[in-house]
Amino acid sequence: MTATQAAPLTREAPAQAPRRHPGLGAALRFEVRKLRAQYRAWAVLLGAVLAPIPIVVIIHGQSRPPKDTLFGRFATDNGFALTLLVLGFATQWLLPLLTAIVAGDVFASEDQHGTWKTVLTRSTSRARIFWAKTLTAGGFAVLLLVLLAASTIVSSLLIVGSQPLIGLSGQTIAAGTALKLVTASWASTLAPTLGFTCLAILLSVWSRNPAVGIAAPVVLGMVMGLVGGLGGIEAIRSLLLTTPFEAWHGLLTQPRFTGPLVDGLLVCGAWSVLSLGAAFLMHRRRDITGG
Amino acid sequence: MLPSCWVPTFRRMTNPLAVDVIGVTKSFGSICAVDDISVQVAAGEVYGVLGPNGAGKTTLLRMLFGLIRPDTGTIRVFDKTWDEAGVGVLEGVAGFIESPKFYPYLTGRQNLEGLTLLDGGIRPGLLEEILDVVDLADRIDRKVGGYSYGMRQRLGVAASLLREPMLLVLDEPANGLDPAGIRDMRALVKRLAGSGLTVLLSSHDMDEVEEICDNVTILDRGAVAFHGTIAELRTMAPDPGHVLSTTDDERALVIGAHHPTVTVTRDPEAALVVTGPRTEVSAYVAALVRADVDLLGFTATRTPLEALFFMLTDTTSANGSGRHTDRLQEALR
Repeated sequence: MTATQAAPLTREAPAQAPRRHPGLGAALRFEVRKLRAQYRAWAVLLGAVLAPIPIVVIIHGQSRPPKDTLFGRFATDNGFALTLLVLGFATQWLLPLLTAIVAGDVFASEDQHGTWKTVLTRSTSRARIFWAKTLTAGGFAVLLLVLLAASTIVSSLLIVGSQPLIGLSGQTIAAGTALKLVTASWASTLAPTLGFTCLAILLSVWSRNPAVGIAAPVVLGMVMGLVGGLGGIEAIRSLLLTTPFEAWHGLLTQPRFTGPLVDGLLVCGAWSVLSLGAAFLMHRRRDITGG
Repeated sequence: MLPSCWVPTFRRMTNPLAVDVIGVTKSFGSICAVDDISVQVAAGEVYGVLGPNGAGKTTLLRMLFGLIRPDTGTIRVFDKTWDEAGVGVLEGVAGFIESPKFYPYLTGRQNLEGLTLLDGGIRPGLLEEILDVVDLADRIDRKVGGYSYGMRQRLGVAASLLREPMLLVLDEPANGLDPAGIRDMRALVKRLAGSGLTVLLSSHDMDEVEEICDNVTILDRGAVAFHGTIAELRTMAPDPGHVLSTTDDERALVIGAHHPTVTVTRDPEAALVVTGPRTEVSAYVAALVRADVDLLGFTATRTPLEALFFMLTDTTSANGSGRHTDRLQEALR
């Protein structure tokens, strides 16, 4: 190593000149930069774009359609039905998993790398860092869902075709209307996906362990799915975070009903507020003793 | 090697106290990590917090940075408290706790640029100046995951200097560095201190603190064992000790008995240990030579300040700091 002469760090400012106080945007930019530098995030987004294509090709090529699943009967020769079949599959555990890959890691990775002491000794408050991470995870979830939906819809329609769709009440839905309803069905899963994002954030803050933050929402989603399948627990079923994933069924009946969508929004909102509230308090109050 | 000719000019303090810690206590479960500690660091001072592992140094510094909330007591930094000013307390404060940590998947530059975002930006050109100071300019675009320990330490210094601090808090900055790294780090800290910056330095190395600091607080098991100037500490220090090896230890012991101000004892490893005022020890050694007792070895055991440090912190006691450290680490887990 060689000694290097640097210019003196002269400073004209008066003593204790006030520093510019960074806003939420600055913390958000840093979080997005960190996310963009992680191969895992790119791999998930790339998977969301590319994975539907071979799935559509394989299902389209099957001689026997998966009749025991919703829209499975028509999936091999109707692009809209195939899109909804993939949607039904994605809501089982895929969307909770994909969103948790970032949301379950976004706080716990700071513990893993020991970097809480690095970021919390700067000029940005814990609250701003919390919301920056939350917005980053939420934004990733939205982007992920948009890419997955777009790729599935486009590949299904291009590979299988855009024939009129047979709805859940047996009614025929014209291609133009079907496209709107299929898109709305995918969009309806945004609220529960964000609910799982908030749950993953809570688990990430609580556990301080990325593996728990990523895996636990998936396990909880599966448990909720099993509980939701049990009979005689309608009151509990409506409160589960997995139930809103099925709210789109009402869009494809004759007549349509949107009650589950509204209920789902309220349930997801409650889960999100409670999860984020608990996570925020834990984040604000915790002692950073590690790293 | 860190450059020796760089002389930074930092903002001078106008407040009389940079750090004012009053009666701070912090417990983790049943373990009291910091017990009613008060520390005052004047602006422009180089202040040492010394103590063995588990003494409470790092907990104290973490509380100063707001990473840990004290159970009781008040911490004022440039006359602001966390309750009053929130993260504004850290305005003009920088440093690192234990080894600095960064995102391994980002380059050194991306890490520093990200941290400047959290600081509200920096003036143009400052980053490049500081990279020259810490001698990382040619490796700053590599991912931190590939950095050596010393490079991460220097990146930590760079991250701190980017805040153009008035108070620099360094927690065992030379820890884990090789001898050349230790020398360079000490030289940098001394230059920063010489520039008018207030430095709060935590260490378990008496030599380091003696070399750099004006005032010192010695902590032991969470409590203050000594507080004062280095000069005051020196007056309390015991006589220096030496390990003596001769061709005839029995005669050396007998001769030692004729020097009442010198204590000569046999240690478990069959050598002799000589303690006493430096001039008296010299006279004793001269007497050995006159008596044809050949010296095979004569080495200092520890410096007087080191000896005092060990006395104050009782680190050799099996029931002392070691057990406290283990219990504290268990509590933090």
